Amino acid sequence: MSENINITINDQPVSVPKGTLVVEAAKQIGIEIPVFCYHEKLGPFGCCRMCLVEVEKMPKLTTACTQTVMPDMVVKTESPKVIKAQQGVLEFTLLNHPLDCPVCDKGGECPLQNNTFKYGPGDTRMEFDRANRDKATPLSPVITIDRERCIACQRCTRYSDIIEQESALVMLNRGFNNEVGTFNNEPYDTKYSGNVIDICPVGALTNTQFRFKARTWDLDNSATLCAHCGCNCNMTLGSRTNKLMRIETRPNDLVDDGWICDKARFGYGFIESDHRIAEATNLVDGEYKVANTLETARQTAESLKKIVDEYGPESIGFIGSPFGTNEELYLYHKLFRFTLGTNNLDHKTYIDTPGLPVDHYDFLNVETANLVLLIGSDPAEELPILDLRIKKAITRKGVKLAILNDQKTELDKIADLSLMYDVGSDGIALAALANSLASELGIAMVEGETRDESLTGIAEGRMKEMAELVRTAMKVCVVYNPASLTGNSIFMLKHLLGVINKIPTMECGAIPAVPFTNSLGAMDMGILPDYYPGGISSSDSVKIDQIWGDGSSLKSKGLSALEMINKAESGELKALLIYRNNPVIDFPDRKRVESALKKLSLLVVHDMMKTETSVLATTVLPSNGPGYDEGTTTNIGGRVQYRKRGLKTNNSPDWKIISKMINSLSEKPIEYLTSFSVTEELSQTVPGYSEISKKSIKREGKNREKIESENGVVPELGKIESSGQGLKLRIAEQLFAKDKILDASSPLAHHFLPSTLCLHKKDALKLDLSNGDQAILEANGVEVKAIVEVSNRCNPGAVIVPRVSDDQGLLRLARSCSVNWVEVKKA
Amino acid sequence: MTQILFKNIDTKGLSSIGVYEKQGGYRSIKKAFDKKPEEIIEIVKASGLRGRGGAGFPAGLKWSFLAKDVFPRYLACNADESEPGTCKDRELLEKTPHLLIEGIIVTCYACRINTGYIYYRGEFQHASDLMDKAIEEAHAQGYLGKNIMGSGLDLELHTHLGAGAYICGEESALLNSLEGRRGEPRLKPPFPAVEGLYGKPTVINNVETLCVVPWIINEGAEKHAALGTEKSKGTKLVSVSGHVKKPGNYEIVMGTPTSELIFNLAGGIRNDNKLKAFIPGGSSANILPADKVDVRYDYESIAEAGSMLGSGALIVMDHTVNIVEAALRMSYFYMHESCGKCTPCREGTRWMYQLLNDIQNGKGSSKQVEKLKDICDNMSFKCFCALGDAAVAPVASSIMHFRSDYDELIKNLEGDAVSA
Amino acid sequence: MFVFTSEDENKIEKIVKKYPIKQSALLPLLTLVQRREGYISPEAMQAIGKKLDLSPGYVQSVMSFYTMYHTEPTGKYIILFCHNISCQLNGADNLFAYTGQKLGVSGGGTTEDKKFTLHKEECLAACCGAPMMRINDTFHENLTKEKIDQILDSLP
Repeated sequence: MSENINITINDQPVSVPKGTLVVEAAKQIGIEIPVFCYHEKLGPFGCCRMCLVEVEKMPKLTTACTQTVMPDMVVKTESPKVIKAQQGVLEFTLLNHPLDCPVCDKGGECPLQNNTFKYGPGDTRMEFDRANRDKATPLSPVITIDRERCIACQRCTRYSDIIEQESALVMLNRGFNNEVGTFNNEPYDTKYSGNVIDICPVGALTNTQFRFKARTWDLDNSATLCAHCGCNCNMTLGSRTNKLMRIETRPNDLVDDGWICDKARFGYGFIESDHRIAEATNLVDGEYKVANTLETARQTAESLKKIVDEYGPESIGFIGSPFGTNEELYLYHKLFRFTLGTNNLDHKTYIDTPGLPVDHYDFLNVETANLVLLIGSDPAEELPILDLRIKKAITRKGVKLAILNDQKTELDKIADLSLMYDVGSDGIALAALANSLASELGIAMVEGETRDESLTGIAEGRMKEMAELVRTAMKVCVVYNPASLTGNSIFMLKHLLGVINKIPTMECGAIPAVPFTNSLGAMDMGILPDYYPGGISSSDSVKIDQIWGDGSSLKSKGLSALEMINKAESGELKALLIYRNNPVIDFPDRKRVESALKKLSLLVVHDMMKTETSVLATTVLPSNGPGYDEGTTTNIGGRVQYRKRGLKTNNSPDWKIISKMINSLSEKPIEYLTSFSVTEELSQTVPGYSEISKKSIKREGKNREKIESENGVVPELGKIESSGQGLKLRIAEQLFAKDKILDASSPLAHHFLPSTLCLHKKDALKLDLSNGDQAILEANGVEVKAIVEVSNRCNPGAVIVPRVSDDQGLLRLARSCSVNWVEVKKA
Repeated sequence: MTQILFKNIDTKGLSSIGVYEKQGGYRSIKKAFDKKPEEIIEIVKASGLRGRGGAGFPAGLKWSFLAKDVFPRYLACNADESEPGTCKDRELLEKTPHLLIEGIIVTCYACRINTGYIYYRGEFQHASDLMDKAIEEAHAQGYLGKNIMGSGLDLELHTHLGAGAYICGEESALLNSLEGRRGEPRLKPPFPAVEGLYGKPTVINNVETLCVVPWIINEGAEKHAALGTEKSKGTKLVSVSGHVKKPGNYEIVMGTPTSELIFNLAGGIRNDNKLKAFIPGGSSANILPADKVDVRYDYESIAEAGSMLGSGALIVMDHTVNIVEAALRMSYFYMHESCGKCTPCREGTRWMYQLLNDIQNGKGSSKQVEKLKDICDNMSFKCFCALGDAAVAPVASSIMHFRSDYDELIKNLEGDAVSA
Repeated sequence: MFVFTSEDENKIEKIVKKYPIKQSALLPLLTLVQRREGYISPEAMQAIGKKLDLSPGYVQSVMSFYTMYHTEPTGKYIILFCHNISCQLNGADNLFAYTGQKLGVSGGGTTEDKKFTLHKEECLAACCGAPMMRINDTFHENLTKEKIDQILDSLP
């Protein structure tokens, strides 16, 4: 326990830990000391001089934001000296500040206004013309800068330096000519640039989309979550007359640390997209007829039941989504597993299992570990706020970073050790690391050769270095992306975690860094063929019957999503309900998927947007989606939080639609009043969620209990198919991909990239390709055009293709979730 | 008169090591190595040597603040001489670079420092080139490098040039500039002795300060302490400029009356004009009226007279000077050199310039003079670093002592006939 | 496209060795480019940034802080004319006006033939030789009109 220090502020005593800043100590007893440049996340700076206070025995006034408490300090924040200083500072700050309040977006939430009102001089003594600078200039397509309003507090430049680690927004020139800008006037367009809008204490940096749209005090603010990636950052959705106005941060130190990425802030335009599915439709005599949603839901349930009665429960399936809320997924699980009695549920194309053999770590553990081991993950493109958290841990908390990936990422720059394994050899690389550690511990190793450099592209000596880093770390946070692992490698990864955990005095935890919003929730809610909710194996009939009642366990083995497509193709699967998923685009081998879906006698698509899959459906149900929906999601740290709706709609919420389906087939229908009613029910039956309630997740969310993974068996080394022609394909996710969420009308459209393929120098030479050449990727009888980039972004023998848009149709080149081969040639 | 620095300064070829050694150069190193490093610090403390850059902080005391047991440590020699009126370091740097090297070696030995940087202002290219040559020569003679003369001291010395910024003379801004950053000052605490260059304990001293160290080692602390006054020991280089017949750098014993500097050493006022005002310590020091000219040139006496000794730059103004114009010129300088980090300095220096400009051009009023006084008060001790206070000095002191000059200009605006 | 010559690379290697942290070589590298090219272009900033693992924005931020770095091409001879207090007391203003008139760049600027760039400058630590000017690396003190004529006319 750190020693506390006693001080008095304005004759009021306060006791705070050593190292506390006076400005923070004052907050604790409700005393406001005005600031501009000070920000909790950016640390003390002391440049605005607004927080000058008087301290007994100190000859000069001192800035409260840089002064740490000292024993028996006597601080005065309202003495005549301080008042004069505050008025002086504000006079200087306002000296050349334009009188823009009537037209400035910041009005009403402006610290400069507030501080002037409370602490400022009554009027100005400035008789000269105020300095003219750039007004309302685009800093990027989404941020407007007004340099006349800037008070040079350097919050934004420090943010770009310290938090973003980019130094993209910088201070130029000197003295009165100080101005915030970028290199050569290029746009300031990092992935998290929008945060400067929130931290700017004046109206210098404003949201271009929001400009002049509404006064801040007119906004209805909803405390909600971002629904894009698996971070589930907290944000505030501001609306007026039920129209989305703007999105801002809503600091939660346990998740986002006070930041949101630009996709959250500017990527919610889809709410007003023309491509939304607004109503339920049925294909009747070759025509799509609009129908009542709940009525269609009832009919859907009955149709499914009919097919089950005729062909058996194995003939229907549910392809769910990591984008649904826990309540929606819970109800769909209930419908398919319990009401309709099938094990055919899934939500993904890669292989993954619930549960961890180590602690389930959360965002804060990234900072408190001694080593972050990043496997197969590119947070900058997949989970941006996790990227910021890792940067914080490495640059400011003394945490080390080790990276194992099949491609280069931005984080390599600050990593202590970064090793690149050949695309497709992830299983062997993980086994190699596990064995390197296991041999030291004298425990069971993976059988087979793992050390040869030719197998993974990593020399044995380098892998030993990695093992040494892990072994000596004592506290390791493993961050891995299951979606990037090929084939069955997830089992090797979990084996590795188990081995790390056995190191003496080791504290180990992992974060399954799946890019999608609620992958963890989807797994927890049992949208898996071989697992019930809470990670209970579907073969564990004793436990299943125990939790969900006798007879709940099913006989037949469930089909994965890809297997369901196969079975649809063969005609064995008769019906599918696809929820918030677009298999035509997102599953491998589009031709097969389309033909398979067309063969179904019943294809129901329940989605938010019109997709390439929804146009094939016989029945379409509208999903409200983020902005309108309400429910909980579980982020990659296992934290359950409430995603409140931001806008009102008359459409039925998804949970109502799904519960209607259940009720139509149930003798004892359950009516839910709100999404929380569903939450309450699921908390009673889903293992790990017993403590989850409206109350318990209210402020910061709550971690659900960890799910243990099945232990024991040392996995087998998968074989690498070396039989393929051409190069191994590695698809890299892009944060700003052009899809149904960010379309051409999005303010983030300037981030869209052309189709590019990244080759190693050696392969480029072999194929006679150079930088900038037009090329073609070919597989499955499909061609995808791309521009060549020779960048050594991966080891030889593979090609990295960023997934830049739905139109690119990249998944067409793939066949399975194992290694896929493509031919690359000049166009 | 005892001369510590200028004794042989004009010896031909002094910048080459052969001539320098012949003059007794590098003697102090062997003497220092015979003592323990801590002893050297005590000697320098006892000598009473105060920093010669402007702050006047006791050198030995500063060295003793170095964080114990934290390594590596660095030395940064402040050769950023930019205080208006000051040109003494340049003479030392161009004429006797080896003296500085010698002083640095002793200092680094005392403080257990293995790497030293001499931060030159960007315009001192010539002096820096001379030093590069001198360092090479010193290396060749075994005065720099590994295990110097068997003492166990490893020392590498490097030159580094700035690029035009007065603020980089401020020690923490200097460190930032040396690290390849904008020359903005740093928060203090932590002080450089604890967290300085690259976050490590660092000693920062002015050129002149370091150049005195060899003499102290050779002659002893007592001899140094015997010179000067109670609180200002030793000698001081003073750059005398402005309206004097013989402007130049003069070495005086601390406590010499300023009148002696002006009327004896510098030959008196040009054209035998009358003395009107003088600034004892560079433009950042308060302007003093002529009736204070007998003040003894030492830290405490000048402080008592209402100004400061500063860098040792004596700027002399005769009766032809319009003090407002002088203040205007100096206020432009601070406006130009403000780093812009803190609001009162960034806005205040410009506002003061605007007001003085109006007044100087006959557009001023007494209200504006009062406003200037208040701006000075709002800036004093409220800025991030001492540049804000320096900017206030010429303005506040000119209003205090030469209000009549202001009134003259204001009178001309407010209706009265202009006098020829 | 700005490319470092092999001679540059040799110099840079020596420079970087002086410091434990590469970033310290930023000012020396900027100075190297400034002296060679007469100004620093955005491409040069990018090249320097790449060399030292610094973002080009950061390089520009540091560069723009210091007055000795120029973003526009400068003349063969850069004349810095001190106008600070000691020099002003000794008639610098008149001599600056004279020099400006003589070169055809009153108030400062670059001559048509790109031979001279004239600027007012702050104290250059030559106060005892006031009034003075600095032309490239050379200090010229105790100026008079005649001296100025003599110096400028003799420059090739």
